[in-house]
Amino acid sequence: MSKSMSSARRDWLRAMSVTAIGAAVLPRSAWAQAGTPIVIGSLTPQTGAGSIYGPGMRDAIAAVVKEVNAAGGVISRQIKLVSEDDQTNPEATVRAARKLIDVDKAVAILGPWASSVAAAVAPVCWESETMCAIVGSADNITRLPHKGFLIRTQPNISMQAARFGRLALDQNPKSIYFLGPQTPFTQIYIDVVAKMAKDKGVAFASEIYDGSKTSYRSEVDKAMKFKPDVLLLGGFVNDNAVVLRDIYRAGYKGTMIGFGTGVNTKLLESVPPEAVEGIYAVTPSAALGSPAYKRLAKLINVADPGPFESQAYDMINLTVLAIAQGKQATGPAIRDNIRKVSQGGGTVVDDAVEGIKLIGEGKKINYEGASGPVEFDQYGDIVDSKFRIEQVRGGKLTLVEIS
Amino acid sequence: MDNYLIAMATIACVYGLMTVSLNLSWGVTGMVNLGIAGFFGIGAYTSALLTTRLGWPVVAGVASAMVAGALVGAVLSIATLRLRDDYLAIVTLGFAEIVRLVALNELWLTNGSDGISGIPAPIPRGYGYGFSLAFLALIAALLALAAWSASRLQRSPYGRVLRAIRDDADVTAVAGKDVVRFKLKTFALSTAIAGAAGAMYGHYTSFVAPDLFAPLLTIYIFLALTIGGTGNVKGAVLGAFVLIAILEGSRYSAAFLPELSAVQQSAVREMVVAALFLLCLRFRPRGLVPERMGAAGE
Repeated sequence: MSKSMSSARRDWLRAMSVTAIGAAVLPRSAWAQAGTPIVIGSLTPQTGAGSIYGPGMRDAIAAVVKEVNAAGGVISRQIKLVSEDDQTNPEATVRAARKLIDVDKAVAILGPWASSVAAAVAPVCWESETMCAIVGSADNITRLPHKGFLIRTQPNISMQAARFGRLALDQNPKSIYFLGPQTPFTQIYIDVVAKMAKDKGVAFASEIYDGSKTSYRSEVDKAMKFKPDVLLLGGFVNDNAVVLRDIYRAGYKGTMIGFGTGVNTKLLESVPPEAVEGIYAVTPSAALGSPAYKRLAKLINVADPGPFESQAYDMINLTVLAIAQGKQATGPAIRDNIRKVSQGGGTVVDDAVEGIKLIGEGKKINYEGASGPVEFDQYGDIVDSKFRIEQVRGGKLTLVEIS
Repeated sequence: MDNYLIAMATIACVYGLMTVSLNLSWGVTGMVNLGIAGFFGIGAYTSALLTTRLGWPVVAGVASAMVAGALVGAVLSIATLRLRDDYLAIVTLGFAEIVRLVALNELWLTNGSDGISGIPAPIPRGYGYGFSLAFLALIAALLALAAWSASRLQRSPYGRVLRAIRDDADVTAVAGKDVVRFKLKTFALSTAIAGAAGAMYGHYTSFVAPDLFAPLLTIYIFLALTIGGTGNVKGAVLGAFVLIAILEGSRYSAAFLPELSAVQQSAVREMVVAALFLLCLRFRPRGLVPERMGAAGE
């Protein structure tokens, strides 16, 4: 009995080791034969802090994949989308990315959301030569030595801060004051706006507060002593609600500008209308009204897709077009060709199917996306991004411009 | 697939170091360390900073991470050991949050939420598959060393005192043992191991950030140890591997439910994880490898 058991175990061990060695020895290309589907991984936050955005992003990616497959695929191959959850957690993301790369053999990973998640997944991707398109604002992610395998569709913090500062300076102020909570990005905002103000000879001062206080009297009093023409509010909804009440009590009459994450319909519900009247909100925006944006809205059946859904739509379209352009479905081929389809002139397209057709006819194309023109610099950052400027008028957020 | 299994085994070994650490302080000595993620973070940042900023070799970085973990552990326990046990739990829980907030806000040192990238590895990453395999061998050896030392310690007369402290500290003190001293040394030793785990994780993935040591990590480690068997080093190591197997294996549950949407699949996955843990605890309440109670005098 025990003899047969041990021989059975030996057989099993032998079988396992043969499998393991076989798997190790076979070159990767053995799996990537023509006719087999191209695997693209979506790694979006389905759970955790980003879970309000992840599902929509994933839906946008899936919709494009479905559309491309229905039209015959790309380079005569179908696309297989494998979706994993980044859990808005860097450790879980690394594990999920390993699965997508090593098990599913994904050639591109689309959608890691939040800076810490994106920074954790980036080395995994560039070391295994897998293309990676991320959402995350921290400036330095794209400065990592990613050998071109990383692109970011979201404007970085400096770019967002610059738009914030520009709107402030557009009011022709003599003085600007920044009042914001302690977050990892607050200091960058202050530095960028301070420099812009200094260049224009505008007085600037700032105050960082603890975002969980129940009163900001002393901070607001300090700001009022500075007599700012423009007051920049870096807060989120909860602290802005308190700050704005204190500002109203202080009788401030200047212009106030906040971020879309802190000045939105939720804030309007929690603050008396007279305390928020006239305040501006700045939000990175999708390219509302662009053909790609309208297409996306129809494709995923959502009236007004958000910026992240728009970015996901652009990520998958660019990936597919880069594969068509390079006639190869590998990470390096996507890296080498993604800028050839995203910028540099040519016939403007807003979807992959149309683009594949044009590339097949030997035409140069230029993809213009739902999130913006999506053109990348040498680091993988977008060069230009749209921002949505809104103002509270008559108790309602009213669109001023998108630029 | 092979590369993936190697990567998961490597991460399981990192978790294994932490479960061995927690087993030493909580499983054997009864000191609840709810701040294990904080010590993981201390280790990760110590080694990451020394190797990237000062160019120290990785070995020196990991050794320093252990020293830093031990020192901080000792200071924390000195402050609380004379109080009731619950205080250590509360203090360590707060401590982990402090470490995370400091890492998030002291930009000049830690780079804030951007984290530290480009942490070197002891083996050149360029070797690809060879790197993965060699790193696994390295961390498996480290885990084996930690587990072996911990089980030697546990079986020694010293370990007997620790178990006595866990069961009744007053009686142990009456028997003439310096309880505070024993606790302090053991706690420092366990936090040194957690520091090593953090350092190795950083060298493996090349990136550390404050989000890595969120409280979830501590919960995972407690789960792993509870499943494996508290008070037993083998159980601690096994628990870490079972934890990763459950976390990763549940990924494939989605394949059986193709008609669900991606969000539902993610939710199902979390339900599967929870259900498997519940089943483990229902049928093996003392863990897969329960602590072995030796005969008197053993």
